[in-house]
Amino acid sequence: MLVLFETPAGFAIFKVVDEGKLTKVEDLWKEFTTCESARQVVNLKAFQKFENTAEALSATTLLIDSKPSKGLRKFLRAHCDGETLAVSDSKLGNAIKEKLKIDCVHNNAVMELMRGLRNQLTELISGLGVQDLSPMSLGLSHSLSRYKLKFSPDKVDTMIIQAIGLLDDLDKELNTYAMRVREWYGWHFPELAKIVQDNIQYAKVVKLMGNRVNAVNLDFSEVLPEDTEAELKEAAVISMGTEVSDLDLLNIRELCDQVLALSEYRAQLYDYLRSRMNTIAPNLTALVGELVGARLIAHTGSLLNLAKQPGSTVQILGAEKALFRALKTKHATPKYGLIFHASLVGQAAPKLKGRISRSLASKTALAVRYDALCDNQDNTMGLENRLKLETRLRVLEGRELGRSAGLKRGKPMIEAYDKDRKKGSGALITPAKTYNPSADMLLEQNGASNEENTAKKRKHEDEEPKPAEEVEKWKKKKRESEVEINGVKNESVGFDAESEGREKKEKRKKKKKTEASMESDEQNAQEISNEHVSKEDKKKKKKQAEVEEVVRREAEEQEESEKSIKKEKKKKKKKKKKEK
Amino acid sequence: MRPPRGGGFRGRSDGGGGGRGRGGMKSGNRVVVQPHRHDGVFVAKGKEDALCTRNLVTGESVYGEKRVSVQNEDGTKVEYRVWNPFRSKLAAAILGGVDNIWITPGSRVLYLGAASGTTVSHVSDIVGPTGMVYAVEFSHRSGRDLVNMAKKRTNIIPIIEDARHPAKYRMLVGMVDVIFSDVAQPDQARILALNASYFLKNGGHFVISIKANCIDSTVPAEAVFAQVVKTLQVDQFKPSEQVTLEPFERDHACVVGGYRMPKKQKAAP
Repeated sequence: MLVLFETPAGFAIFKVVDEGKLTKVEDLWKEFTTCESARQVVNLKAFQKFENTAEALSATTLLIDSKPSKGLRKFLRAHCDGETLAVSDSKLGNAIKEKLKIDCVHNNAVMELMRGLRNQLTELISGLGVQDLSPMSLGLSHSLSRYKLKFSPDKVDTMIIQAIGLLDDLDKELNTYAMRVREWYGWHFPELAKIVQDNIQYAKVVKLMGNRVNAVNLDFSEVLPEDTEAELKEAAVISMGTEVSDLDLLNIRELCDQVLALSEYRAQLYDYLRSRMNTIAPNLTALVGELVGARLIAHTGSLLNLAKQPGSTVQILGAEKALFRALKTKHATPKYGLIFHASLVGQAAPKLKGRISRSLASKTALAVRYDALCDNQDNTMGLENRLKLETRLRVLEGRELGRSAGLKRGKPMIEAYDKDRKKGSGALITPAKTYNPSADMLLEQNGASNEENTAKKRKHEDEEPKPAEEVEKWKKKKRESEVEINGVKNESVGFDAESEGREKKEKRKKKKKTEASMESDEQNAQEISNEHVSKEDKKKKKKQAEVEEVVRREAEEQEESEKSIKKEKKKKKKKKKKEK
Repeated sequence: MRPPRGGGFRGRSDGGGGGRGRGGMKSGNRVVVQPHRHDGVFVAKGKEDALCTRNLVTGESVYGEKRVSVQNEDGTKVEYRVWNPFRSKLAAAILGGVDNIWITPGSRVLYLGAASGTTVSHVSDIVGPTGMVYAVEFSHRSGRDLVNMAKKRTNIIPIIEDARHPAKYRMLVGMVDVIFSDVAQPDQARILALNASYFLKNGGHFVISIKANCIDSTVPAEAVFAQVVKTLQVDQFKPSEQVTLEPFERDHACVVGGYRMPKKQKAAP
């Protein structure tokens, strides 16, 4: 009787020497306690090694389904003539019987025999030591697991992480080399560094030109625009750089070649990264773009790790330093991390960036989970979510416009009192109202002087601004710019820009009113001093006064008509109420 | 507007934590590591004691557990990983006072029900580079984590197969010294018996973790354990001890015993 035994190294066929021992199943194990006694029972008839791991893998996968592989069939056909074959798997035995007409047997005795064989395997198969068997077993098990888990080399996120790391490294290297080229060649032709700003163009020019005396004769139209070319040719003639030998120029040119090659490679790598991102995480790329998606994956270490993070973490990935600092000092936490560079956040207004980044982060987390754990390959989910986010952005913008376009009756919006807010306008919620004398309507006597004042005001504004006004305007601008700087600082710390904007507006209104009052005071003072006015000035004033009177009367009439309309409306409403 | 969040976020800064029970194990504490009664297992004594194993792959944490670094007299650094008894049945059994786990440095272990490999990594630490762990797990999700972990530890052989059919992985596994079973299936005794008949050597040992709810939730836990022990005795197993995993798991027990133990020769009178 023959025994078929499968090992990670290959197939083995043993011949049972002493069949009598098989009858006593319980004592069979005693035979296999030492290798000599084992050899008395069985000895190795034939051993077929697997050629390579691929063959081992295919043979094993077929064996798992109880099917004999081609190699096994050949092996059996060659060695198993006319004898019964003991197998560990009855289904496999049936398959062998069908295809090869070899009788197979499987029973308790066979199982005991297998146990014994397994015990003494390394002794019975000469040339197969323990140290050979375990790495083969390890390799086979890993290949088998990969096959089982449907491991696809397309969906490996390690490539993305390495590619984005390489992209950053390349950028640094490229910059270093380009700076080196500029410095080195600047010894020979320093003016070129200021004429050609772009690094790649600089390298191409140097490569084309070599020595600067060649510049006049060469055509740079492929590399540079015309005016730069003209500048270059001029500068080349009158350059203050020193001469360099041909050998030096050769080396500089080689460095330029390196720079150009690296920049080409960087472009290629970027394309590769984009194609890989679209294959591995199509929904993530649809939402945030290839570069931001790749950085997110690289930050967390793998696509699966990123999928485990909640949306709030995805929002501030990359801003950990700011986050923990804010948590420790009880300030507001950052609103965005790496996700800030996504196009959706970029196109939002500064006040809306926080909200959009939060919505985007939650949708991104969903898309990542879909990519990491689902078997689908398309990006429909990502595109749908992107559309949703874009509509949301438009809705938010609409709301903002509505708020800033004008409120009821011109009053500033009242905000809720929040005692925990660190920086604010203090106890005042609405700004204090100040007295604005320019809105006064005075009687006839003073009315004329008022008209003169208004006329003079306008005249002053029409003519060249007087130094006093200039000083005032400059002061106004200074105050406004200070407010703006403060506003920018507040935004960077992460405060709500909306409240700041409102505060800014309130401050500006306050200042305008105070300034208007100051202006009118100053001008009154001036007018008192300039009491003797020439005839021409008087005529001009009279004409302007007439014009202004007409304008004013029209304004008054409009106001009166409005008032009358309002009164009529009120009367109508009262009538309606009475009717009801 | 985001209100500043101060107090509720202490959890964030804590790196991974040693599980729900080990509250005292904060980073930066000084501990002394001493060997446990079981070979290959250690105890880290500090404010609170913790079970730990010597890390086979220094510098790496498998499931976010805390690591303890100790400097020897001759200057070499040894790293230990803390073993959480709330997550691992074997650690719970050791702390429950089992007499002998039979898993020693250099032994070959067949681990049924490996899941994501958290306990398998500790078993791999114990058996060391000379031993071997064959980890069987059927689920694909957990299998992925298992395979990733096995890439770093060369003494683990991951097998993504159903433990009910040991014939399917017969070419990957040699004869083993110990079978550890944590499959949580109603027929786990039969599974253990089948695997033992293929792979467990004569005089080998088994450690099985029994979840009473899983086998029969209507019968009280003691009855379930007794039933399982009886089933095992029929299949040439010799159960030697049983411990409950009480403070760590409810209605769980761990049974340890031998397989096809050689009969003791009666001394001639």
